[in-house]
Amino acid sequence: MSNSQRHLKGLSYAKYGYMFALPFIIIFLIFSLYPTLYTMFIGFTDMKGVGNETHLLEQPFENFKSILNNQSFIQSLKNTVKIWVMNFVPQMGLALLLTAWFTSRTSKLKGKGFFKVVFYMPNIITAATIAILFNTLFGYPKGPVNQLMMSWGLTNTATDFFTSKSASQNIVAFIQFWTWFGNTMIMMISGVLGISPDIYEAADIDGANGVQTFFRITLPNLKTIMLYTLITSMIGGLNMFEIPLLFNNGGPDGATTTASVFIYKQAFKGKQLFAKAAAASMILFVIICILSAILFWIMRDKDAIAAEKLRKEERKRRKQKQIGEV
Amino acid sequence: MAVRKQKGGEIAFTVFQYVVCIFIAVICLMPFIIMLINATRSSNSIMASAISFVPGKDLMTNYSVFEGKSFNPWTGFLNSVIISVGATACTIYFSTLTAYAIVAYDWKARKAFFMLIMCVLMIPSQVTAIGFFQFMYKIGLVNSFIPMILPSIAAPSVVFFMRQYMQPSLSMDIVQSARIDGAGEFRIFNQIVLPLMKPAMATQAIFAFVASWNALFLPSILLIDREKWTMPIMVSQLAGDMYKTEYGAVYLGLVMTVLPLFVVYFVLSKYIIAGVALGGVKE
Amino acid sequence: MKKAISLIAALSIMIGCAGCGNSSSTADAGSKAEESKAESAAESKDESSDEAVSGDKQLINLYAFTDEVPNMCKKYAETHPDFDAKYQIKVTQIPTTNGEYQPALDQALQNGGVDMFAAEAAFVKKYTQGDAAKYVASYEDLGIADVDQKIKDAEIAQYTVEIGTNPDGKVAGLGYQATGGAFIYRRSIAQDVFGTDDPAKVKDEIGPGWDKFWEAAAKLKEKGYGIVSGDGDVWHAVENSSSTGWLNDDGKLVIDPKREEFFDISKKLKDNGWHNDTRDWTDAWYADMRDQSGANADGEADVKTADTKKIFGYFGPAWLINYTIVKQVNGEKKGEGTFGDWAVTEPPIGFFWGGTWVLGTKDCKAKEGVAELIEWITLDTTDDGLQYKWANGTLYGANGTKDAVASSVVMKKSDGKVDMLDGQNMFDVFVPANANANGKTLTQYDEDINLIWRDQVRMYTSGQKTKEEAIADFKQKVQDDLDIESAD
Repeated sequence: MSNSQRHLKGLSYAKYGYMFALPFIIIFLIFSLYPTLYTMFIGFTDMKGVGNETHLLEQPFENFKSILNNQSFIQSLKNTVKIWVMNFVPQMGLALLLTAWFTSRTSKLKGKGFFKVVFYMPNIITAATIAILFNTLFGYPKGPVNQLMMSWGLTNTATDFFTSKSASQNIVAFIQFWTWFGNTMIMMISGVLGISPDIYEAADIDGANGVQTFFRITLPNLKTIMLYTLITSMIGGLNMFEIPLLFNNGGPDGATTTASVFIYKQAFKGKQLFAKAAAASMILFVIICILSAILFWIMRDKDAIAAEKLRKEERKRRKQKQIGEV
Repeated sequence: MAVRKQKGGEIAFTVFQYVVCIFIAVICLMPFIIMLINATRSSNSIMASAISFVPGKDLMTNYSVFEGKSFNPWTGFLNSVIISVGATACTIYFSTLTAYAIVAYDWKARKAFFMLIMCVLMIPSQVTAIGFFQFMYKIGLVNSFIPMILPSIAAPSVVFFMRQYMQPSLSMDIVQSARIDGAGEFRIFNQIVLPLMKPAMATQAIFAFVASWNALFLPSILLIDREKWTMPIMVSQLAGDMYKTEYGAVYLGLVMTVLPLFVVYFVLSKYIIAGVALGGVKE
Repeated sequence: MKKAISLIAALSIMIGCAGCGNSSSTADAGSKAEESKAESAAESKDESSDEAVSGDKQLINLYAFTDEVPNMCKKYAETHPDFDAKYQIKVTQIPTTNGEYQPALDQALQNGGVDMFAAEAAFVKKYTQGDAAKYVASYEDLGIADVDQKIKDAEIAQYTVEIGTNPDGKVAGLGYQATGGAFIYRRSIAQDVFGTDDPAKVKDEIGPGWDKFWEAAAKLKEKGYGIVSGDGDVWHAVENSSSTGWLNDDGKLVIDPKREEFFDISKKLKDNGWHNDTRDWTDAWYADMRDQSGANADGEADVKTADTKKIFGYFGPAWLINYTIVKQVNGEKKGEGTFGDWAVTEPPIGFFWGGTWVLGTKDCKAKEGVAELIEWITLDTTDDGLQYKWANGTLYGANGTKDAVASSVVMKKSDGKVDMLDGQNMFDVFVPANANANGKTLTQYDEDINLIWRDQVRMYTSGQKTKEEAIADFKQKVQDDLDIESAD
């Protein structure tokens, strides 16, 4: 160990950690934590309507109890999970497939750049526009989709997608899928680009084919990015709001009312039950926290194990390489 | 024989890839085409059939609707640019800085801080909105761009992404050698770490810009003054006039809203598409 | 995980503390301080923005959800230099589309930043009689003299006044439009089916009462027409002709038998194929205002499928004709599209639909100016008043859009002849139509309850639920979403 290094070790860099995190912390405290705490606080009051005096409840958990007994809220949680799963599974599948194709070194596919740019594009349009557009496409009884289905002889009578619960859920899931698969794909690709080229070179030398490289190297190295995508998508999914609201106003019969739509309606529609909305959102918050914590824990463990394995394999490979060279 | 068979298979596979990609591309492009074409069609013909592949001749008529409605696309454009550029710059720079603080330094509260970020990440945005609005009204930040720009300094999801990206790819060796060369910590971050993060920053910049540009709910409640309106508020305003619906103009407004996003997207997508791998010292 | 839990625990403790510290007195003091702060902030903001424009003009903060009321006020300032010299109108226009208007307006009301505002029928009762009524000044308090007498003299429809009356029995809001409903029908179809297009005779074919209406529907069906576009058209008539609203005096949910009957009406319409099963405000609904076979102005084929029928008519007030239908008919003079092929007649049951009310606030700092504007808009029956110009389409120059207005006196002296109705004077029908309307059934939650109701009705008509299930779910959802208990 050289002199200078010892000197560096003696220096404490910890203060820079605090310093660099400071802007985040300050802004977070003011614009995020305070409103959150305030919202939480509202959950223990009887705040509703406009300009009514707000009091703390005598039974602090009254709102929480009432929300947990609220059938529509429970239904909205179920809907949220259902729609999210219906959109996320194919979304992740397609994104991974495209990532494999686009980052494959053996692929003959040209115009990858063009496709990447195009696939991301649905994510650019405002959710409101997308919802309105799809609402038009699936119009009943004279929307373009109905027209096509009838002219192709698929159905004899027009289908009212908006009164069918499963159709509405499927369409909302599809819109989510359509909007986000490009985003997920780009995330994955940028994750692959972050993997050290050395590993791929080593694989090439070992004669691994594209499929093997993808499953043995790319996928394990994508774990962190996948975790990120999974968590953000799950949170995004549980916050799914604009599209179900604007596509069919959470209907029919509440089938596309997600937890966020429920909360929004409690707070900003009708009686403006702010306190109940706040309680509902805190329940949602706890659910998301628990799910994410579990997910994070599972994924991180595996990740570490995988990294350890990889390092060992690489060491082995290098040794073999050295032996070969010798 | 075997070689030729493999080649045939390869070609078939490539063709299959093209078919799938082109099919998906068509589905992705459809709404943009519809939007562009409808921007040139009269409201009447759009109401008759929302989808057409023949452009109309009413582009200027649709544009003139804006004038009649005191819809000023240029004011909206400028406001949106200020907000989105400001918010994106804040998000990207400070998130990278924060991620660097977590990855590169060993400070006591680091782990707790990261957990905190994880938790914040999970707060449903819909309802903190209630507290947020009331707070903004209280401190008089109505008709100000600050509530749209400043909070983006604390973007937990971007910090999380940056941290995940930085952890495996940032080599402390470079940092150490820079320190030996006598560079200050802040300079090391700006001159060495930031360039390393370019691909991740470009990706997140697109997301941040799009999100900020498209935001409707928050600005529409806080920006009450007409002169402060952003593009999406102006467009929703056109659509909101339910007694006199002007579909053609709404589509034109939407196109004008999306165009700047295209520009930003194409400029930044260079980074993603060119495949800039991480430079620096390799493991 | 452990950290997350401890963090949440820590947060909840903090909240708990915030809770204990927040006794009612401190909360009050705090909110007052906040209010004054917000007010001063609002004032300073206003001053800075208006310094360049006006020296010592008084500011009127006007909130609206369309450009109608703001444009009226601007017109008033243009034509009244005295007013223009004294006041500066600052317009805040927020659309109702995504529900942004009410939260913003409510906040501004709490902070005293509003002097005058517009409210739509769907939510006006919140501001005249509901939660937010405490911010709204009665017309008398604004300084308008003899309000009741003026209302009587102007012969303003009773429902407009009922809706605009605050809990103290004083008028706090009035509209300028009259939104009493009529049946708006196609002349050519009436000629084909009933042998006449004369409104006086068609009236007897389709009413009075639903039974006659169904007879007409059956006759129309024989010739291949639908009587209405969707069940939503009928709903507006059913909703505003029932004797009780959604809430009883105790604020509990009740279902008026006439409204309950809508289940059967809707089912009957669908099963008999008497309509095209469209929803109001969708493209298909608009398309039915055009001719089925007709191509539109650009020569493109209309989006229609084989099993859709030509539609006989719509239930609606004058604004539906002059702002909505007229834009859909693909023509600007008779012979083009369905322009001029329309007429209005008395509906089988009286109803009203929509409308905009104008209100002034208690915190208003320019009461005289606001009173002047409101009086001109809602109570002035002279030829210079807003309503006369509105009724005759002369507010923004000649040949503007004509509309029914609140004052019957104005309507009687106005010319309601419109080319769209082939020269029929629509006021002949709309003046009596206002008398049928009943404002007592409106509640501030109508918009929300109606959405739930129509949704459950569709569940029944599409065969996914029985009527009993749908009604039970309706009650449950109202309870869940709005915290309103069912009366039984």
